[in-house]
Amino acid sequence: MKLLQVQGMNKRFGGLKAVSDLHFDVDKGEIFGLIGPNGAGKSTTLNMIDGSLSMTGGKIFFKGHDISGLSPYKRAGLGIARVFQRDVLFDSFTVLENVLTGLHLNSNLGIKDALMPFSPGTRKKEQDLENKAMELLDFVRLSDRPGMMAVNLPHGDQRSLGLAIAMATNPDLYLLDEPLTGMNAEETSFMMETINKLRDNMGVTIVVVEHNMKAVIGLCDRAAVLDYGVKIAEGTPSEVTADERVIEAYLGTEQDVVSS
Amino acid sequence: METSLSFVLQAIANGLAMGGLYILVALGLTLILSIMGILQLAHGEIYMIGAYLVYYLTSSLGISLYIAILISMGAMGLIGLVLERGIFRPCKGDFLSVITVAIALTLILRSYAVAQFGLFERTVPKLASGSLVFFGVAVPKDRFVAMLIAAAMSVALYLFLKMTRYGQAMFACAQNPEGARLRGINPDLISPMAMMIGCALAAAGGAIAGSIWMLTPTMGTLPLVKGLIIIVIGGMGSLSGAIVAGIFLGLMDGIIPVFFGPVVTSIAPLVIVVLILLVKPQGLFGHG
Amino acid sequence: MDSKRLLSIFGVLLLIVFSFAIAPFLGNPYWSSVLIMIVINILLTSSLRTIFILDEVSLGQVGFTLIGAYVSALVVMELGLSFWAGLILGGVASAFIAMAVGYPFMKLKGIYFSILTLMTTEILRLIAYSWKPVTGGQYGLTGIPSPNPLTLPGIGEINFSSMNNYYYLALTIVLVCLFIMYIIEKSHLSRKWIAIKDADNLALSVGINVMKYKVLNFTIACFFAGLAGGLFAHYQGLLSAGATGRFGVMTTLNLVIYMVIGGKSKFSGPIIGTIAIMLLMEFARPLDNLRPMLVGAVAIIFVLLLPEGIAGLPVRLKSIGKKYVSGVLR
Ligand SMILES: Nc1ncnc2c1ncn2[C@@H]1O[C@H](COP(=O)(O)OP(=O)(O)OP(=O)(O)O)[C@@H](O)[C@H]1O
Ligand SMILES: [Mg+2]
Repeated sequence: MKLLQVQGMNKRFGGLKAVSDLHFDVDKGEIFGLIGPNGAGKSTTLNMIDGSLSMTGGKIFFKGHDISGLSPYKRAGLGIARVFQRDVLFDSFTVLENVLTGLHLNSNLGIKDALMPFSPGTRKKEQDLENKAMELLDFVRLSDRPGMMAVNLPHGDQRSLGLAIAMATNPDLYLLDEPLTGMNAEETSFMMETINKLRDNMGVTIVVVEHNMKAVIGLCDRAAVLDYGVKIAEGTPSEVTADERVIEAYLGTEQDVVSS
Repeated sequence: METSLSFVLQAIANGLAMGGLYILVALGLTLILSIMGILQLAHGEIYMIGAYLVYYLTSSLGISLYIAILISMGAMGLIGLVLERGIFRPCKGDFLSVITVAIALTLILRSYAVAQFGLFERTVPKLASGSLVFFGVAVPKDRFVAMLIAAAMSVALYLFLKMTRYGQAMFACAQNPEGARLRGINPDLISPMAMMIGCALAAAGGAIAGSIWMLTPTMGTLPLVKGLIIIVIGGMGSLSGAIVAGIFLGLMDGIIPVFFGPVVTSIAPLVIVVLILLVKPQGLFGHG
Repeated sequence: MDSKRLLSIFGVLLLIVFSFAIAPFLGNPYWSSVLIMIVINILLTSSLRTIFILDEVSLGQVGFTLIGAYVSALVVMELGLSFWAGLILGGVASAFIAMAVGYPFMKLKGIYFSILTLMTTEILRLIAYSWKPVTGGQYGLTGIPSPNPLTLPGIGEINFSSMNNYYYLALTIVLVCLFIMYIIEKSHLSRKWIAIKDADNLALSVGINVMKYKVLNFTIACFFAGLAGGLFAHYQGLLSAGATGRFGVMTTLNLVIYMVIGGKSKFSGPIIGTIAIMLLMEFARPLDNLRPMLVGAVAIIFVLLLPEGIAGLPVRLKSIGKKYVSGVLR
């Protein structure tokens, strides 16, 4: 079953065509890679899928519904979650509070709770949420420091926390933007393991943007390659990395494709 | 017919003179905003103090008006330097801190002016006496001198920004602070210059206003509001936008009161600004 | 931790008792009027800080006070409603207008939002200044009645035309408002606001309807600003909207100073700052025209040396103390 369908997606920034007539489908349960050189339009594509950028043209279907015009928070409600390329976290909050905020959609805190934050009913609801949040932190190995300020986490752990926040929305589709960038070898393998576990245990679907070819080959079932906003190849990782045009697009960074 | 033509011509002359003043204030505001990234809410007070300094120089020391204006511009430029170093730079761009010190500065300068010069209205000598006659209608000469001074200063600023090394650096900074930094332009050098130029222009504006109308300790509020209106209409950071918007606003302020009441005159530009902010916050002439 | 909490609850109660007890000791209408203005301004400054939770600086709170003041005065004078109805309707009208403009307003951020709110408050003032049939134009509204006497069991009839009693009334109302604001500050609502301030894109991506929460914030803040207006109207008995008056730009700007000096990131900040600066203004009376200069200087000193304000002093002193101790030990 097709979970996500991108049809004729376009994005212009003034004169710049950041994404041109992009088509691709992602099946349910699949890990789909989006790769390409810097500035190829990968983040822009994710931004249009999660709704934070509007499209200049095209359509997006999610679970068969046209979501093209929906605002980001509604898409989140439908089951699309995003992990940003740069560390975007709630900086005023602790690790635990970050995940609690991510649980917004799963919380049933209402106006009554806002007016009676110390009432037993509200405390109970919040306790349940905290338990859920701790489970998620456990999954990404952060349950040992829930009280730490998120900004004080090392980079790799911040990325993990970003993933935990996304998981808190209980999504069907994850959009991961370079989840491995800036990580050391150990962090990288843990993150890859986690992503695989997500898909295998929870059956979710993942679209991942990544530069690290080893990771792409290790993770993805299929991948599409963008260059200057145009899709130049699509297929299994080995098909894609063998493609003439892909190698050419990566010419400056041939190293990346061939040797790694 | 005769009288209405005369009204309109005088309104246009008045409007252009006011537009000139507004431009002098707005150019400084927008320069400071785009280069230092700060909202200088005390800019009107610099204008007011500049005017009072001219009053002091002309009335107590007997210095001639034009020399006094130049001295005042220099003095306020220096004050600008001190302000940039002393209170604005230490705020490190924190928005609320900047707004707070600017408000504090407003309180300080205004209360200084009240204590020093009292609440009475003061006057300085006229820029020029007599009238010019257009189509049989006499328009006071000082309005034209005001326009000329404003125009000359705008041109001088333009030439400085285009022709000199510092000016070009400053212009680059105003257009794109990040890019300028990457090209090795040191914002710590450019910021005090922006503040100095801004304050000097405001002082000139205040002096001219004082010579056409009156001096009061609260005279800075109006040009501040007008300056803010102009930088919104013209687009924040756009110098040419400020000039076009300044002329436009000045004409509106000159002409609207002829046909409508003073309230419409004050409300109309505010409403326009609110609409622009809501619909096209980058301004009508802004880039990006 | 818990003993600390008990201690601060005790401290707050003590302060409340003190603020009720102080009026008869000062015992003259002048001081009562100062105290009334202090509590009204506390409410206003707190409403400013509610919006500042989103990291936005509203320069328009006074405009919403104006709405509350005129609506509250007019419904009492023209429709014969009671003070209480007027007060609530003033707050509701202000909140309603805030909600109506909230969606486009709250899309703007930073300088744009501040300028927008500043211009809006000026527009509102000019409307009040010129809409003669309704607001009395430049002469303003006069003869706004003070609240009807209230009969309380055990105490008897309380007459609010006395300054002292009006102070008690205003204090009680403001305390209730502050209590509600405090509750909101501790609730999930304010955690949403902080999340939006930190990273609105992330907030959206976890399904938070960012605009809804921002508009709600603005609406709540303006409700309280409107209530402050009603309190002001019935205390003053007359309203006018001149440029240098109560509804002028300077009033709004002063609120910012109160908030920053008191401490922008603490709930108690606006309360402490408003009391401190307004009392400073009173005690510095001999300085006369130079008083604003004193306030300005204090504000600059705080921004540069104590950005967390008076409410941040304990933490600051502790850290200085720690540094000193570790210096001595070394
Ligand atoms: N908001 C924007 N305004 C203007 N241009 C933009 C904007 N966002 C992205 N671009 C441009 O669009 C192009 C695609 O950018 P995008 O961030 O999608 O690339 P990317 O493939 O994610 O690259 P990277 O690997 O560096 O993250 C780039 O040329 C970029 O400069
Ligand atoms: Mg990217």
